[in-house]
Amino acid sequence: MAPMPSAPPPCLPPDGGWGWVVVGAAFISIGFSYAFPKAVTVFYKEIQEIFHATHSEIAWISSIMLAVMYAGGPISSVLVNKYGSRPVVMVGGLLCCLGMVLASFSTSVVQLYLTMGFTVGIGLAFNLQPALTIIGKYFYKKRPMANGLAMAGSPVFLSTLAPFNQYLFNTYGWKGSFLILGGILLNACVGGSLMRPLVPKQTTSKSKNKIGIKGEDSGLKKIHKKKSTWERVNKYLDFSLFKHRGFLIYLSGNVIMFVGFFAPIIFLAPYAKDQGIDEYSAAFLLSVMAFVDMFARPSVGLIANSKYIRPRIQYFFSFAVMFNGVCHLLCPLAQTYPSLVVYAVFFGLGFGSVSSVLFETLMDLVGAPRFSSAVGLVTVVECGPVLLGPPLAGKLVDITGEYKYMYMACGAIVVVASVWLLIGNAINYRLLEKEKKKKQARKKIMNTLESKESEPLSKSKHLEDVSKAETIPSERETNI
Amino acid sequence: MRALPGLRGPRGPTPGLLPFLCLLAAARPSLADGSDPDSPFTSLPVREEMMAKYSNLSLESHNISLTEHASMPIEKNITLDRPANIQLTCQLTTSRDLNSVNVTWKKGDELLENNYLINETGNILYTQYMFTIINSKQMGSYSCFFQEEKELRGTFHFKVPKLHGRNKPLISYVGDSTVLTCKCEGCFPLNWTWYSSNGSVQVPVGVQKNKCVMNGTYANETSLKITWLLEEDGGSYWCRALFQLGESEEHIELVVLSYLVPLKPFLAIVAEVVLLVTVILLCEKYTQKKQQHSDNEKEFEQIEQLKSDDSNGIENNAPRLRKTESAAQ
Repeated sequence: MAPMPSAPPPCLPPDGGWGWVVVGAAFISIGFSYAFPKAVTVFYKEIQEIFHATHSEIAWISSIMLAVMYAGGPISSVLVNKYGSRPVVMVGGLLCCLGMVLASFSTSVVQLYLTMGFTVGIGLAFNLQPALTIIGKYFYKKRPMANGLAMAGSPVFLSTLAPFNQYLFNTYGWKGSFLILGGILLNACVGGSLMRPLVPKQTTSKSKNKIGIKGEDSGLKKIHKKKSTWERVNKYLDFSLFKHRGFLIYLSGNVIMFVGFFAPIIFLAPYAKDQGIDEYSAAFLLSVMAFVDMFARPSVGLIANSKYIRPRIQYFFSFAVMFNGVCHLLCPLAQTYPSLVVYAVFFGLGFGSVSSVLFETLMDLVGAPRFSSAVGLVTVVECGPVLLGPPLAGKLVDITGEYKYMYMACGAIVVVASVWLLIGNAINYRLLEKEKKKKQARKKIMNTLESKESEPLSKSKHLEDVSKAETIPSERETNI
Repeated sequence: MRALPGLRGPRGPTPGLLPFLCLLAAARPSLADGSDPDSPFTSLPVREEMMAKYSNLSLESHNISLTEHASMPIEKNITLDRPANIQLTCQLTTSRDLNSVNVTWKKGDELLENNYLINETGNILYTQYMFTIINSKQMGSYSCFFQEEKELRGTFHFKVPKLHGRNKPLISYVGDSTVLTCKCEGCFPLNWTWYSSNGSVQVPVGVQKNKCVMNGTYANETSLKITWLLEEDGGSYWCRALFQLGESEEHIELVVLSYLVPLKPFLAIVAEVVLLVTVILLCEKYTQKKQQHSDNEKEFEQIEQLKSDDSNGIENNAPRLRKTESAAQ
């Protein structure tokens, strides 16, 4: 049983060269998207006093920011499908900057919701999706490695932004800090400008075909004028993904997982304080976790890229999720500070490995051309569990009065998700094998006849092998 | 348990005092409400008078235990915001002969003459000093001394409560309004005042145009609201709380910045971003042009090669190819 990953995109990814610069640019965008909503909480205590707001009113700012960032996924996908990654990221950077500059002039909490929450949220959404999409366009063979490196942006930015925000606050107060943070977020535009769109290159040996293909293009254009509305909508946002088996397995598994994924981090410091540990040591636990996370992501990316793991990456993802779940289940055993540090190390490892391959597995299942729409749809659905998880966990702690039940519940949910993903993907791999064999048999028959050089849009979801991809410029080229 | 009231340092009744002591022992008064039932002492008639006068005040009891092996003097800090009756007890645990220990009480450096008791149980020596704190004159440090080979000391420090302001400076901008607050935990001052200081001179704040003192709903906090901040409003501010037993003050630093201060870094960052983006896009255009140029040349070569393939025979290919190559270069 050697299941094949989904085939590479028709335009051959460079797998290096400028691609590594793009990874750096994606590092910046992903870093801002994930780290900024958390790092900005440094200002909350002060803002709460100044605006005479309650604790929960202020916490809504981060919630709105995250919600808009996830829910803005489909909008972002549509724009990336039409215009490519670069313009969308640059607009995203501008929106973030605008949002923060306006926030520095706000006089009420509602204005903060609109500026910081909504505007910055949209801007971050316009950063996250395109960054993930463009990695899929630039890499195929080394894609897990590239994904792992880019996702490492999140812990790196969090560890630098949090103390930097504290420094800004001590020097400039909250107004000046927001203004300067707007400037910092504008640097996402620099990352965006580095995301060069890929021009489909025709190799010189095929120059004869070039003239032939141009003729074919004009012929096909006539056929496409008769597209239905469903297909036109699908061109912007690929809703047909909801019929894609692998996509549905991924989506359902992730929704279950995210309910119990983030609550353990949020409650780590309070749990430590509850065990009698002082404030600074409790905060240090989070730093330990972030530090391990930082190194875990690229390393796991490297492991996932290896010859042995890559074809079975879905299993690897399931095991990483299970590792997380088991960690949380064992957490209540940790009651002294050294044992909590050990837990934080393992947690960082688990969190990093899941995050590292989180989007790689999606790319693996749906393929790079449909990834842009896929990630938009996934984030808007994940919006729910991501936002509901921590408050539900908090409620559990309030009801039972102890943190250990919350950790056990989260661990159980995550383990269930991992088992679901494992079984689902095992079935999926097997069915993919069967379909591939059927196709190969069919192709042998077709090869004896003369075949057209291009495929219509509504054909099979799985593309052919690497060697055959060069000859077929698909009409569904999703960038530029 | 021998109750032996001692009026001065050296203990042991002299023969002349014996009848007096018997009288006292006979007329042992019942313990008044205010005194500590666990105290190993009985009260003196002198103290009874005082207690009656200040019976509406609360009683505070504090204890220090010393051992003969204690190298460092033991200290205790006590915060007091209103008048109270005070009962200080020091106890010494020693294996040596208790009779040889010399006991004294001091307030600061001043030796206290009367009103302290000495008692012993087993090998623990107790001494107790009772007094009343009414105003700031009675505040300070009270120490009990046990003199053996070396001097063992226990000290009680009486202080007014500390105020809570801000540890870090409050940063605000010109044209904004801000509120400085001072709080006292679990204590209720009689009065609050605010001062601002530039250098060492403290000037009371109150009736200036843009400043107004607001005392909170509870007496334990006060706020100074400054409405239209100017640059000169920045500096040190002091909130002072007046208690019956003294004053306590706290320092708050206010920094007023003009809007230009954060604007400069912001503009610098924006300029850097614009510069980088322009440089990156220009570089890209340049490399693209170069590539297009070399692509065009390659195409030109290719087309020539195709033409030669189609029209001529194989023999003419080689010289033709060389010609086009040299032409392209």
